[in-house]
Amino acid sequence: MTNNVLYIEDNPDNMMLVQRALEARGYHLLKAMKGLDGVATAEIEQVDLILLDINLPDIDGYEVAKRLRSSSKRELNSVPIIAITANALKGDAEKALEAGCDVYMSKPINIRELWARVEAFVPMP
Amino acid sequence: MLNSKNTDRHGSGLSPKVVTPAKSMALSCLSHLKCSGCGQEYSHRELHTFCPACQSPLLSIYDLKSAQQHVDRDEISQRPKGMWRWHELLPVINPENIVSLGEGDSALLGVKNLGRTLGLTNLFVKEESTNPTGSFKARGLAAAVSKAKELGIEKVIIPTAGNAGGAMAAYAARAGIQATIYMPKDTPRANIEESRIAGAEVVLVDGLISDAAGMAGERARAEGWFDLSTFKEPYRVEGKKIMGYELAEAFDWTLPDVILYPTGGGTGLIGMWKAFAELEELGWLENTKRPRMVAVQAEGCAPVIKAFETGALFCDFWTNAHTIASGLRVPKSFADSLILKDLRESHGTAIAVADKSILEAQSQLGAQEGIFPAPEGAATLAALKELIKQQWITPDERVVLFNTGSGLKYLY
Repeated sequence: MTNNVLYIEDNPDNMMLVQRALEARGYHLLKAMKGLDGVATAEIEQVDLILLDINLPDIDGYEVAKRLRSSSKRELNSVPIIAITANALKGDAEKALEAGCDVYMSKPINIRELWARVEAFVPMP
Repeated sequence: MLNSKNTDRHGSGLSPKVVTPAKSMALSCLSHLKCSGCGQEYSHRELHTFCPACQSPLLSIYDLKSAQQHVDRDEISQRPKGMWRWHELLPVINPENIVSLGEGDSALLGVKNLGRTLGLTNLFVKEESTNPTGSFKARGLAAAVSKAKELGIEKVIIPTAGNAGGAMAAYAARAGIQATIYMPKDTPRANIEESRIAGAEVVLVDGLISDAAGMAGERARAEGWFDLSTFKEPYRVEGKKIMGYELAEAFDWTLPDVILYPTGGGTGLIGMWKAFAELEELGWLENTKRPRMVAVQAEGCAPVIKAFETGALFCDFWTNAHTIASGLRVPKSFADSLILKDLRESHGTAIAVADKSILEAQSQLGAQEGIFPAPEGAATLAALKELIKQQWITPDERVVLFNTGSGLKYLY
């Protein structure tokens, strides 16, 4: 198993925070700022876990999750997905889980919780 | 033994005497802020929300050695009643910035009729409905709004299940600070009206407090409002912690054996546990025995119970949260790890109760003790009955139930 984490997020501050946090634990972060780019990256690269923002500039995170789950690349049907949102709309958590995400986290991202959630799926390298 | 002189509520506001420190002593012994997650320290003289490094709540650290040298616990007992008589252990530096409506020093009621029915000899209710705006939220918001004023904040925003919004509106009005409140559209009518009467802008949200939090957070970032959400600023917990100091004083500087606390955001539970640690460090307790803390939630929204039972360090977000106790409809607290840590340190537990049991408990408190509790407060009695059944509580233990607000505020 590698230790590649894909983070699909359009907010550069969140991206930097998570990158710093995960790289400090030895993970390798792959980055995508848009939903479609995220799906494409997941299709091409070896990805062990996906962190997924819901409010993205092109397709939203629910759609990203659905596309990943129905991808012809079979690994993506079961790759762990952690949804991370500002839960600004009613029922975000429920929708994220229905779309195929495994875990839901709300922003602000508590880094210790992020470590715990990531390590639950991908042991620290 | 209960210290009866401290169980009555006296005074209705802030006496100048309360906020005039001795010449040699600062009003507050606040030293700095410290991240509860990574330990990073921050100046209390600057505006902070939560830790920018790891996004955990910040806690206030006091110079307790100085407090120990200069403050006499028994002298505090002689001060005019109210939360601010503990000002050395609260965060406001300049007395002119204290915004008070007479909060604190709620009654600690012995409830013998109820105790007899349940087979308990030392049962008490901390009756928080006597606070301004009718709930315990007044304590936290008094501290937070006062400190916001001290730090030059001109507009504050909050997501709320109800009572925190009403309290923030009241204190902001008194401070001359602009207020905006996001609350679920099915929030009790009293909370909506009290907020509007205090001049706040009220935004009703089609969702839960977590949805309101998202929207309020977005508006705060976009328009520069200061967010007083639970634990997204460091000072609400300081007001709430005074409940712990009051308990110690009322029990003659010892602590009860068990505290049952309705837990939504968990500020009061965390605050009291912090108070007990501070009291011990101050050397003000007659012994070091601490209470077992019990987090009470509703079956329809019990993230703390689930995490506690599975040994998790954080709560999972509770989906489809529902309960009549609107203050317990918190799918995930921002301070969940602190709640869980404090419960475990105290050798306490977490328990969920059904809405039906909450309503029965509400009636029982009214019929047997003349207390009309908020559903959140009633939930603690429902939980107590279950814990007695489990023999988790023994008959002679000193048990305190927290009624966090008045049932009157939930009438439609």
